Parts: sequence; structure tokens; C-alpha cells
Amino acid sequence: MKRREFLQMTSAAALFPRTAHAGSTPFRFGLTPVFLSNDLEVTERLRSYFAARLGTDVELVTRRTYQEITALVVSGQIDAAWICGYPYVQYREELELLAAPVWRGRSLYQSYLIVPAGRPVDDWTDLRGDVHAFSDPDSNSGYLVTQALLAESGLREQDFFPRTIFTYGHRNVIRAVAAGLCTSGSVDGYVWEVMRATEPALVDQTQVLRKSEWLAFPPLATSRGLQDDKRVRDFRDVLLAMADDPEAASILSQLQLDGFAHCDPAEFDAIATKFATYRRFG
Amino acid sequence: MIARWREIPVTYKVPFIVALLMVAISAVLSERVLDRLSRTQESHIQGLASTYLDGLSSTVLPAVLRQDVWETFDALDRSADAYEALRPIDAVVTGTDGNVLASSDPAMIPSFQPPPEGFLDRYVGTGIQIEKSQEVGYARRDLVYQGLPVGAIHVSFDVSHLFEERREILMTLLLTNGVLALLFGVAGFLIVRQMIGPMRILEDHMRAAASGIAKPISEGLAGRTPSEARRLFEGYNALVEAERERKNLAMRLVEEEKVAGLGRLASGMAHEINNPLGGLLNAVDTLKTHGESEKVRRTSISLIERGLQGIQAVVEAMLSTYRPERQGRSLSRIDFDDIALLVAPELRRRQQRIEWSFNWAGHPELDIPSGPVRQALLNLVLNAIAASPERSEVQINIGVDTRRIHIEVIDAGEGIPADMAVILTDRNPDPILQSGRGLGLWMVRRMVDEVEGSVSISFSQEGHTTVSLELPFGREEKADAA
Repeated sequence: MKRREFLQMTSAAALFPRTAHAGSTPFRFGLTPVFLSNDLEVTERLRSYFAARLGTDVELVTRRTYQEITALVVSGQIDAAWICGYPYVQYREELELLAAPVWRGRSLYQSYLIVPAGRPVDDWTDLRGDVHAFSDPDSNSGYLVTQALLAESGLREQDFFPRTIFTYGHRNVIRAVAAGLCTSGSVDGYVWEVMRATEPALVDQTQVLRKSEWLAFPPLATSRGLQDDKRVRDFRDVLLAMADDPEAASILSQLQLDGFAHCDPAEFDAIATKFATYRRFG
Repeated sequence: MIARWREIPVTYKVPFIVALLMVAISAVLSERVLDRLSRTQESHIQGLASTYLDGLSSTVLPAVLRQDVWETFDALDRSADAYEALRPIDAVVTGTDGNVLASSDPAMIPSFQPPPEGFLDRYVGTGIQIEKSQEVGYARRDLVYQGLPVGAIHVSFDVSHLFEERREILMTLLLTNGVLALLFGVAGFLIVRQMIGPMRILEDHMRAAASGIAKPISEGLAGRTPSEARRLFEGYNALVEAERERKNLAMRLVEEEKVAGLGRLASGMAHEINNPLGGLLNAVDTLKTHGESEKVRRTSISLIERGLQGIQAVVEAMLSTYRPERQGRSLSRIDFDDIALLVAPELRRRQQRIEWSFNWAGHPELDIPSGPVRQALLNLVLNAIAASPERSEVQINIGVDTRRIHIEVIDAGEGIPADMAVILTDRNPDPILQSGRGLGLWMVRRMVDEVEGSVSISFSQEGHTTVSLELPFGREEKADAA
């Protein structure tokens, strides 16, 4: 979906940007299936924590696709969202970065190309003809990185991967490859590493064939129209203070994150470059 | 086979039949239970599979319409956990093109390809098809949207637990019925043994009675038996008591008969002794008067000597017949001379004579006790004398061969009445004796039975009755030789 079409789709909502909130209106925070969105316990603890720190009700908004969450945050229908770097570079002008998660000391992660464990392949070019699993068409690690890789090599997706499926979740990519539904998949390296600890039986049925370069971690963003909103600012402060808050320690530990840090839009240039490569070739 | 079956005691037969009946009943019951179970299980599994397919159809239909492989796989994958009771093995969704859209085991049945060869052949007909050899059930459901087919779901599931359950129930039935059959068999054995216990006691006593030792059943044995058996025992004891009294009576009668016979003989003997006594006294008077005459003296003394010898012979014969210590010696010709001497007075009284015929074959004596034979023959001869008219002749034939002595007593009268003759020949003459008649004949019969001989009676047209005895001798020697 092109950016213009996307904006047209969200224009009705954009006519009435929510620049202010009544005291009783809950703070709405969107979650893409970027990470462990299936873990209800983590999301509930996160919601409770934000509610306690913000002093208001917090509503977690989840949708099946990145696109739906991106549309909601760009249009200001939700106050903030944990989105992916790819939608961010697509809607950089409409979005304002709040913070980025810190994983293993840095706000960086990788995209993994995975195959079933024991599959005798040495190079990603051996995957030609595979049934390939992507996470989401708006995912950086679960789609864009692999598409950019193909584009950089002058390969067309339909020629290299005659059959592809979208699983709309990084965990689902791992499941699809582990079950043999797909013979390879593109997945978020952070999710794969976290799940290797939490669900080893599943993850051990896969193996990493290729790791991408380090890229900016999926950030938390708000719509430009809401960047000065007090609750949004408070929310950013809460995020930035989480690393030092003992009460947030167990949540961060569960997410295997160190905390949240300021983030510079320039960090997403590499992703923007991949997007450009992909668009140019496509 | 039937004869062998009849030989098996009822103590074993009844429990065996009870156990056999239990086995037959359990076989029928087991068959009915398993048949019913099988139907219930199939109905249950049909219901479960139908519910499973209903749920799965509505879940996968939107994904199938979009040809969404992941969503279809996800639905199949999750449904396996949701329907554990059905134990799905695999589920395969095919599209209208016949290719697999998704399967629960993509490694075996991959997407975007036709199903494996022979796969669709398992899914024929409606409802569940159960492959008993593999213990797997197969079911198929068409996916229809707005009246148009958009694909189909094929599900296979493990039904081994159904067969396992059937096997377990069969084993339980076999085990339970086996134990019950065993218990009933053992209980039947004990009950029957308890029931026929009194019959055994009765049987043992009757067997003992048959071999001559009739004993009443003691109160100790009868006390533990049920009332029916107790009445039976009382009846048996009454019978034994009656038999004992009858035998005692017979023995008394025999003794009395002996005494009576002895009296008759004694009076005969007194007469026999009295006859020469007159001659002797006359001789003594002659000696007193004319004793000085040598010729008279010699003649009188000779007369006295012969008279005393006659008396001595009679006394000897009497002693041989009735002195117990003499009865055990072996039979010889002298015994028959004694009998002739003993019956002589009776012959004279009735003016009869005996014609003796001997074929002794040179035996000095025979290995058979003389007492009983003398007594028996004496009785037969006295009977023959009594039965024959006056001035008639009684014939006695004695023959001896290597193993037997044959004695025939032939009277000249009307013979022994038939009801009395059976005392000699009937297998069990005892009841006839109850009238107290025929004791002499009964003593003859007893002697013949004791020496294991035989007796027969024949009647001639002239009215003679012949009583024949055949008595074996030398039996003990033979037994020793053997």
C-alpha cells in the first residue's frame, strides 16, 4: 500500500486530531505484533505499570497487522504506539519518536533468516524456490530487510521465492518454519533470541542462516499532533525512567530489555535506505 | 466318552457343569456388552468428530476463502489441542484445485501440492471410516460457502483408545467371569460334597454290610447331617437292627434244632443201647445159673462182648458227630459208617433200608473237615427217611474224583416241597427261614456255602427227589501252592 493511499484511508480520523484529553479518557497505547504480543501476562503488567505511573487508565490497543496500528497512531486515534522502524521511515513526517528500547546495551537489533534445524544450507542464496514466511508487509526485520537483500542482489521476490506467506507475527514465522509449513522465514532477531530462552522447544526446531547488519530497534512513537500533549510527555518520561525504576525491573526482565532511551531519527536512516532500495527495485 | 463321563463322580460333575454354564453365560454377556460398547463408542466418536469438523469448518472457512495458508494452518494447529478427546492425528484442508492449502503436519503433507497418493481414497462415504487394522478413523467435510464448494477438510484421528478400552473391558469380563466360574465351581464342589457326604457314609456302611459286617451308623456321624439324611440313616439303622435280630433268631433256632436233633438221636441211641442190654442181662443171668458149664460160659461171654462192642460203636459215632475237637479232622469212609450207624434206629423204626454206593477211589481221607459234612449229610439222610414211605429204600451215592466229592441222597417219597427246596438253591434263602421251618436244610446250605461247594435238587417222574452236593477239597493246599 502506497503512502498516499494510506493517508487517504486515515484522513477521516486526521480531521479530528486528539490534541487534548479529558481527565477521564484513558491513555491509549498501541502495540504492534512486533514482539511478544501473544504474551497476555506481559502486556497486562505493562498496562498496569503505565497506569500506575501516569495516574490514569491505560488502554492497550492491539491489532492483527502493523498497518492498522500505524494508521491509528498516525491519525492520532491512539496516544502512542510501539511501532516498527519500517512504518516509521514511511511516515516519518507524521510521527514523533518518544523512545527506543535498549537491548543488550544498545537500541539496535537484527533481522534473521531462519530455516528448519538441520537443513543443510550454507548461504541464503540456497533458499531459492523456498516457501518463505514473512512476518508482516510493514515489518522491517520480518519483510523489508529480506526484500532489500533480494533487491540489492537484483532478485525479484516472485522469482526467488515462488510461494510466500504472511504470518502476522514474528512468533508465527518461527512456528511456520519449525512445523515445516515454510522452508525459510524472515524474523525479528530480538524476538528469536528472547523466545530461545522462553520457548526453547519451539525455537530449537529452527536455525539462523543469516543475520542482517545491526538496525534501529522498533521505536515508540506518537503522532506529531500529540507530541506536546502532557500525557504523552509524561509517558515518555515514564519510559525513560523505567531503567532506574525497581518496580519496572521485572517487566523489563521479562521483555529481556535494559530499559528505554532517547532515540534519534537519524538512527533509522539505514532502514530508510533499505526502503528506498526496495522501492526502487520494486 | 459317555461311559467315561458317567464314571466321573457327581462331586466333580456338578461344579464342572456350573463352571461350564458360567463360561457360556459370560461368553454371551461379553459379546452383548462389547457389541453395545462398540456401538456406543462409534456413536460417541461420530458425535465428537462431527463437532470437531463443525468447529474447524467455521474456523478455517474465512481463511480458505482468502486462500490464507498461515491462517488455515494456525487454525488446524490450534484445534489439535482444543479437541484432545478426539485425538486428531492430522488434519488437511484442500482447496477447489485439489491442492493442499494447509495441513497440521506440513512436513509430511506440504502446502501448495496435491495430497500424497492414496490419501483421498481413505476418505470415502459419509461419517467416520474406521480402519481397524491401523486403529485410525477418517472423516471428511466439504467446505461450502454460499452454496459453492470452496474446499474440504480431511481429518484422521487415533481410535486406538477405543480398541484399548474394548480390550480392557474384554479382559475385565474374562477375568471377572473366570474368577466367578472358579468360585462357583469350588463352591459347587464343596456344596455337593457336603450334600452327598451322608450318601457316602450310607454307601460305606452298605458296602460293609454286603461283605457281612453290617454296622449301624453311629450317632456321631449322623448328628452332623441334615434332617433328610438323618431319616435315611435312622431307616438304615432300623434295617441293620432288624437283620441282626433275625440272624440271632435264626442262630437260636439252629441251636434249638440241634438240641432237638440230638434228643431224637439220643432216644434212638438209648433204644440201640437198650436192645443189646436185654440180651446182655439174659447172658449175665445164664452165667449166674449155668456159669459152671464151659460151653455156656463161653457162649454168654461172647454174647456179652458183642453186645458191648455194639454199644461202644454207637457211643463212638455219637462222640464223633458232636464232640467239637473231633469235627476238624479230615473226612474218611468211617464218617459214612458212623452216619449209617446213627440213622439205623430210625430206619428200623420205619422199616426202611439204605442202599449205599461208594466210589472212594482209594483215598484214605479227604482234605475237608468231617464235622460239617457229617452234620449236613445226617440232616439230608434223616430228611430222606422222613420223606420216604415205610418199607422203602433210600439211595446214597458217594463219588470222589481228584478235586471234589459228590454226594447224592435219593429218597423214595414225594420229595422236598418246592418252597423248602429253595433253601438249598436260592441265592438268599434267609427270608424263607423267618417262619422257622427248614432249619435242617438251611444248615446243609450253610455248610455248602462255607466250603464253597454247590447244591442242586432234581425230581424224577417216579417221585424221587435227588439232592446232589458237590464239595471241593484240598483248597487250602492249592492256595498255599499258588
